[in-house]
Amino acid sequence: MRLLLIEDDPALQRSLAAALREENYAVDTASDGEDGLYKALETAYDLILLDVMLPGLDGWQVLSRLRPARGTPVLMLTARDTVPDRVKGLDHGADDYLTKPFDLDELLARIRALIRRSAGRVHPAIEIGLLVVDTASRVVTLGGAPVALTAREYSLLEYLALHRGQVVSRAELYDHLFDEDDDSVSNLLDVHVSNLRKKLGADLIVTRRGQGYIIP
Amino acid sequence: MQLPFHSLRWRLQAWHGLILLLVIVALCGAVHRLATVHEFQRIDREVVAAERALVRGLIDAWRPADLPEGPLSPRFVFERIRAGDATVPSAVAARFSGTEPGHVYFVIRDADGKILLRSDNAPAGRVPTPSAASSEFSDNLRTVGRHRELHRATSDGVAVLVGRDISAEQDQMLRFTAWLAAVGLGVWLLGLLGGWWLAGRAIRPVDSISRTATRIAEGNLDERIDTADTDSELDQLGRVLNQTFDRLHDSFERQRRFTADAAHELRTPVSILLSETQRILRRERSAGEYHEALQTCHDTAGRMRRLVEALLLLARLENNSVAPRRERLDLAVVADDTARHLAPLAEERRVTIHTELSPAVCLGDPDALGILVTNLVANALQHHRPEGGSVWLRTQLESGRAVLVVRDDGPGIPGKNLPHIFERFHRADSARTGGSGHTGLGLAIAKTIADNHQGELAATSRPGEGATFTLSLPADAPDDTRAERDARP
Repeated sequence: MRLLLIEDDPALQRSLAAALREENYAVDTASDGEDGLYKALETAYDLILLDVMLPGLDGWQVLSRLRPARGTPVLMLTARDTVPDRVKGLDHGADDYLTKPFDLDELLARIRALIRRSAGRVHPAIEIGLLVVDTASRVVTLGGAPVALTAREYSLLEYLALHRGQVVSRAELYDHLFDEDDDSVSNLLDVHVSNLRKKLGADLIVTRRGQGYIIP
Repeated sequence: MQLPFHSLRWRLQAWHGLILLLVIVALCGAVHRLATVHEFQRIDREVVAAERALVRGLIDAWRPADLPEGPLSPRFVFERIRAGDATVPSAVAARFSGTEPGHVYFVIRDADGKILLRSDNAPAGRVPTPSAASSEFSDNLRTVGRHRELHRATSDGVAVLVGRDISAEQDQMLRFTAWLAAVGLGVWLLGLLGGWWLAGRAIRPVDSISRTATRIAEGNLDERIDTADTDSELDQLGRVLNQTFDRLHDSFERQRRFTADAAHELRTPVSILLSETQRILRRERSAGEYHEALQTCHDTAGRMRRLVEALLLLARLENNSVAPRRERLDLAVVADDTARHLAPLAEERRVTIHTELSPAVCLGDPDALGILVTNLVANALQHHRPEGGSVWLRTQLESGRAVLVVRDDGPGIPGKNLPHIFERFHRADSARTGGSGHTGLGLAIAKTIADNHQGELAATSRPGEGATFTLSLPADAPDDTRAERDARP
């Protein structure tokens, strides 16, 4: 999953980005409203973390300009905690609202929930035959037995599983698994798919030549 | 309702009642006296007339036949009486008889007390007793019981007593007195009632003010005393109280704003601490990672400390209750000190500080003004992007004012931000970073210090052409002319 973090305080931005990357998210960052809006319109992120008090365009403005164009889930992070502020945020199009200071665990859980919901899934655990992908604990079990996956392998599996039944193009996979700072080579994707097939069964991920991959 | 002796209304009432009582008593007393005197004058005239009638009657009755008509001295009458065989002539007896109210009587005795002649209705035991000082016709009118008596002594030792019953008059006087007392009491009570009502009306605005003030003091600090329909004296009181409440309200507002600002601004640093520590603790880390995380926490804690200190300084500066320090100082000296101690920062940012310092003496708190100048210069230094450029620092005396100017050639301040730069936590976009030691309070602190010195701090800027901050303080008078003379080229 690829996230956009729009937060102007450099120390907080660094800390959050690091925490999210450790959770296997690809993270792009922006330090002001305009840059953030530009990136958000350019790329289809899985979730946007948006601070309200930003230089230039503030969070409300970014949101109101984003919404007509993109339906990306937005989680607002802010020091403003009064009820009117929360209502304003949610009514402007934010999907969730978290006030600073917040618990990292809570933030991660809310991110997971929003991503899950935007993929049309209700339950954290995705069952595909004997395979169970628990997106909350990030544990994959096959017939009850846990399977060890690398971070990248898990991310790829999770994405395909969440979009089960849809063909996901390689470009889309790149967009959602690597952030702007990643300079991965294109066939890395194939390696990960190949490894997944080895660990989870060859018929899990189907290749549609010229189109992409799909978990049917 | 307070205890009677403590209540203003009751005390007013009591004094009013007392004074009114005294006035009424005095008035009634005067009226009574007047009436009494008048009445007795009439009665006395009657008694004197009766006495004359007695003497004339006796004269007429016993006038010797051979003496012609005309005035006769009563002496022969007294001799005749003394002779001892006189009886009361019928004409006289007719006059001096009866016991109905108003009757007259007489008693005549000689020098050794023997009753010579008396009317039948004279009360027993009544004897003429004229006063010691006696002349030919010395009179002696006195009230004895229910009678008014005239005691007269003649030169030949005979004493005459003529009395008149005044029981009717006395009863009437009593009735009059009672009536007067009743009326007086009635008037007094009416006066009391009227006074009570008046006092109530006068006190009512005070009561209203007192109730409003109590409500305000209990927490509703937005309310104010209505001074529109009180009388002029209380109007002043109401105004003074309102001013006090304004100051109280401002003071509470400042306090509330301080805590709100502090809490708000501290949220982000606390978020950083939480985020970093929670992230680091989620799994095993290398020593290097722990070190780095702790470094971040340390920097953040430092940031929080600077913020708290700046807020406390601002709160203290705004709290004018302590008398400010005032010394004669030269802004040029302050500017020079600042330039020197900010030299390392200037060097770090590759900015050159130029100084043109002429003496500018004023009165002020050297520490506070030091902070002010430091904040202005540090602000100018930090606003240079890309690094490099100049900051000009100038002090001089200008028409009675000590002026300090800080100018930089940095990016300047956009027009829409200019009115807000002295507000707390206002940050021009570029300088938003909390990490560079910038709390967002530097200019707010500078402005407050300028205000405390009765000075002015203003900023002008054109985007791309840097910014100019001008501080103007009242110059210190005596050295004015000398310094100005020295400053001129």
